[in-house]
Amino acid sequence: MAPELSLEQLREEIDKIDEVIVRLLDSRARCAYTVGRLKHELGRPIYEPAREAAVIAHVRQVNDALGGPLDGDAVARLYERIMDEARRIQRIEAERDAAKNEQPVTKNNI
Amino acid sequence: MVVVMKERASDAEVEAVIAQLVEQGMDVHRSTGASRIVLGVVGGGKVDPRLIELLPGVHEVVRISQPYKLASRTFQAEDTIITIGDLRIGGDEVIVIAGPCSAESEAQVHATAAAVKRAGAKVLRGGAFKPRSSPYSFQGMGEAGLQLLREGSNAHDLKLVTEVMDANQIEVIGKYADIYQVGARNMQNFTLLRELGRTRKPILLKRGIAATMEEWLLSAEYILSGGNKDVILCERGIRTFETFTRNTLDLSAIPIVKELSHLPVFVDPSHGMGRRDKVAPMARAAVAAGADGLIIEVHNDPDHALSDGAQSMFPAQFDRLMAELRIIAPAIGRSICLEPVARRGWAR
Repeated sequence: MAPELSLEQLREEIDKIDEVIVRLLDSRARCAYTVGRLKHELGRPIYEPAREAAVIAHVRQVNDALGGPLDGDAVARLYERIMDEARRIQRIEAERDAAKNEQPVTKNNI
Repeated sequence: MVVVMKERASDAEVEAVIAQLVEQGMDVHRSTGASRIVLGVVGGGKVDPRLIELLPGVHEVVRISQPYKLASRTFQAEDTIITIGDLRIGGDEVIVIAGPCSAESEAQVHATAAAVKRAGAKVLRGGAFKPRSSPYSFQGMGEAGLQLLREGSNAHDLKLVTEVMDANQIEVIGKYADIYQVGARNMQNFTLLRELGRTRKPILLKRGIAATMEEWLLSAEYILSGGNKDVILCERGIRTFETFTRNTLDLSAIPIVKELSHLPVFVDPSHGMGRRDKVAPMARAAVAAGADGLIIEVHNDPDHALSDGAQSMFPAQFDRLMAELRIIAPAIGRSICLEPVARRGWAR
């Protein structure tokens, strides 16, 4: 980024980037929601640690290639937050589904 | 709650903890620090923190929410105000309950009731069932005593509180009393608390001599969960290493419990101190610390009382104490006995 940009200009730039980030997070959440529905149909658990580890490894790799100021641990921490929210979306959906079927949420139907 | 993992917890251990929490309907926020992983756990699921603490790799589980719900400020932000006829407990007015340890005779009940009313008390206290440390000591007058106490309080326009010791006394006491008192020894008599939860009369719940504030509030929760919303908490002294007084009156309970809970908090300086010359200073301190009321033993003739004579105040001492409290209360935005009293010629 050109250093001659003013503080106001930089902040405008950040606002524009945030719009893109939120749109991407929205797309990701929609994907996660559908994944949750599929998991439910396939009888798989919401929390799949191997998949979460793979996601972290993948984004670390992408980030390393960029060589910017965010290190791998920082990206991993940000993704822990994102996946916390994905799990939450899937839990709410599973509970809604269970309520619909009037079955208690248990290990087997989550 | 917050789950702190051990420094060398393996990925598999962390994953097993998250899996268990997620399975129980909780949302987990995983934070990976430089040396250890911390899991923030929120949600409506029911998780026993002790079970999580037993899982491999867990260093510590820190509980954030309180185990009692209905009694907590989180559940109800505004103070509970209990109304009995024209009496409001838990409002701006500091309510003073006074009377003898036990009903002994018609003359004693009436003389004491008259004296405490004149001084500004709003509720008469007195016991009818008195299981004492020795089975040979005076055991109370039973239902005849309740009758005397009711007549005494009616004659002097006072409400009546008396102790209920057993679930089988609830019915008979309910015929006479306005407030049931649960004594310190019965604070964790959960069968009794559950039965009282089904009644619709206010309960004055004394703190057990070895009970923490949390245990005390959990006992209140037993009553509240039965549907009886009118619980008054009463600090009466706890067991410490100090032997000069019978118990150590824990005045710190007033601001702490009032922050944790919306229930009114009373103080019993008579049982807390066990000697009448120390009752007034602690009563003054309790009002200054924000107590919603006091319960004080007063006897028309303490030297000849059949029980607790040493801690019962003379009517003149009580009168003087009430005058002092009337000066202290306004300093913290409270009042004591706004009603005109007969002695000053304002009789109704």
